[in-house]
Amino acid sequence: MITFKQLSKYYPTKQGRRYIFKGVNLSLPMDKSIGVLGPNGAGKSTLIKILGGADYPSKGKVISPLKISWPLGLRGGLQGSMSGRENVRFVARIHGFTNTKLVEEKVSDFAEIGIYFDEPVKTYSSGMRARVAFGLTMAFDFDFDVLLVDELTAVGDTNFKKKSEKVLKNKYENTKVIMVNHSANELKKYCQAGLLIKDQNLHYFDELDHALQEYQSCYVTH
Amino acid sequence: MPNLSEFTHAAPSRNAFKIMCDTVHALLMREVKARFGSSKLGYFWAIAEPIAQAAVLGLLFTLIGRSSLANVPVALFLFTGILPFKLFSKLLPQLSLGIASNKALFAYRQVAPVDPVITRLVIEIATYAIVYLVIMAVLAWLGFDVLPDQLLPFFVANGLLVIISFGLGLALCAAVQQWDDTPKLLSMVLTPMFYVSGVFFAATMIPAQYWYLLTWNPIFHIIELSRDAYFDSYTTPVGDWQYVMLFALGSLFLGLGLYRINRVRFSA
Repeated sequence: MITFKQLSKYYPTKQGRRYIFKGVNLSLPMDKSIGVLGPNGAGKSTLIKILGGADYPSKGKVISPLKISWPLGLRGGLQGSMSGRENVRFVARIHGFTNTKLVEEKVSDFAEIGIYFDEPVKTYSSGMRARVAFGLTMAFDFDFDVLLVDELTAVGDTNFKKKSEKVLKNKYENTKVIMVNHSANELKKYCQAGLLIKDQNLHYFDELDHALQEYQSCYVTH
Repeated sequence: MPNLSEFTHAAPSRNAFKIMCDTVHALLMREVKARFGSSKLGYFWAIAEPIAQAAVLGLLFTLIGRSSLANVPVALFLFTGILPFKLFSKLLPQLSLGIASNKALFAYRQVAPVDPVITRLVIEIATYAIVYLVIMAVLAWLGFDVLPDQLLPFFVANGLLVIISFGLGLALCAAVQQWDDTPKLLSMVLTPMFYVSGVFFAATMIPAQYWYLLTWNPIFHIIELSRDAYFDSYTTPVGDWQYVMLFALGSLFLGLGLYRINRVRFSA
């Protein structure tokens, strides 16, 4: 269960405060994986960031007893000036692992990006970034209850997609996913429920299809 | 395709303090590698820079025929001024950019914006202590009497210097967040600070009616007080513990307050 209590998030802009969420009160049951829907700029990534503790609500709070991952995405999480290996080492250390060698090897094996693993992340293609970012969560057994995935499976080649699909389905039997993806097919593959961002508020749908229909009627112009 | 069943390393359970220590350790390894790992001479320069500076000033004083300043041998006198000032003038720019240059890492909930600031503080203090010890060891080898005469006030003066730098550094982090040009302004302020902080002179060397030009400066007080502690032969006429302590308290309050106000903005 993830509970939003009077959650508001705004960003200060030159035209004043721009609200992304305003007074959201909602409980997500988390018995199913959730696909997050909304047009560009609606606040999908912001929602993922707040859930992952990478950003803070302007007002209100998010309460959950569950173990939630950091936001797995292309933008945050990996620092450009550090190599893939150094990023992995850093993440292992902040999670309290003292022997980082094993973890490095696991991620390296999963990512399969060869010598680029020791090059700065800023030289990576987005597919390579996704491989390292995804490999990171695979490398140790964090026992996350909820995995936050922001557009990560959208990039990458067929092999990587197959691999990550397998991992998401097998390893994370007990882990639910909250996923942002612009492809409805991708969402259907992983998620059963839907969360629609509309009018600075969140709307939960027990069935992903209902959420997709609502999304179609609200946002898609024919 | 690696065997997925191999991926089992249970994460240890930790309390908040342990998490912070682990995070600072991770940042420490990263920063040290970035700063000193890029060139093999990294640590050499940390020691060579203050030595070169003291050598130039020492040469000047020797050329005008001085063998001691305020009853203290020239070399010792200069190092006890240059080193604390170096710590201060390196801490401020380092700390002020600590948050801005680590933003990507705040994606992990374990990393709080203050962690990189603490990390940089630890690195600079450790470097300072090592440089101090190395230089004093060399001077002792050359026959100088390098042991501080009063150890406790010497450490208190340095502790206050660290607190002031930490407070101002955190405040500058907030300033950097608001205004990109803060580092330029900071370096404009720090350069003249060298000349008014008593690095190469002591209060007893200038007429008493001009002391008011310097006594606003807490770094001047700290250098005066630490020389007073270091050398029994020198007694500072202006060094004021109360003023320095109040200044330290004030800057710590300012720094922590601005951090608290800006904590949401830092990670965005």
